[in-house]
Amino acid sequence: MKKLLIMCGTGIATSTVVKGKVEEWLKENNLSHEVKIYQSKVSDEIGRIDDYDVILSTTLVPDNIRDKVIDGVPLLTGIGIDNMYEKVLAEIKR
Amino acid sequence: MKLEKDLVVIDLKAGSKEEVLEAMGKLLIGKGIVKEGFIESILQREKDFPTGLPTEPFGVAIPHTDGEMVNDSKIAFASLKTPVKFLAMGRNDERIDVKVVFMLALKTPEDQLEMLQKLVGLFQDPQTVMEMAEIKDAEQLNELLRNKE
Repeated sequence: MKKLLIMCGTGIATSTVVKGKVEEWLKENNLSHEVKIYQSKVSDEIGRIDDYDVILSTTLVPDNIRDKVIDGVPLLTGIGIDNMYEKVLAEIKR
Repeated sequence: MKLEKDLVVIDLKAGSKEEVLEAMGKLLIGKGIVKEGFIESILQREKDFPTGLPTEPFGVAIPHTDGEMVNDSKIAFASLKTPVKFLAMGRNDERIDVKVVFMLALKTPEDQLEMLQKLVGLFQDPQTVMEMAEIKDAEQLNELLRNKE
């Protein structure tokens, strides 16, 4: 089971919307049973980012963890969604 | 999905995002929807985690802050007379011109989720974003939201 973390600044608004969309996408692609979703805020996760296999964030993260994080803003604007899901899929399949 | 008439501001005149956040925050404080200190909290949060979305044909912002500042989960709307600059969410110092603001007063992640999901869906359609900026009153806005469901 892969661990997918979705985070935003407060863990209350955008991460919730993103979570709903990712859940739908996982279902459509028959991946629901392979991935467990976690939702949180950036400040709570910075120290344990390596616990997760895939990380989506709607907010900017510190430089030292930026490479591990996929930008989740496309799910809010609709711009660049396919590209974003390709990255997520690659991480799930890794 | 409906926004309360009292929480809809048309053609808000503001020279900066701070003025927008203050005006909308005042509205929410005045109705007891959020706590005293909400404005300071939302200003700080916007600084730390900007909420401008680079939608087309112009940006939308969804300012919000910690649930503990909120008494009653509601969403306020403002269209801006002239666009103001917000920083883009998840980007480094990218400024966008925002004409439509939805201020989210949310106590818990589940509150207003359906509404929030619908709004985000609407933001992805340039025609709808354009229409949101041009609505004349709360009724028209709610009709727009209803028609797009």
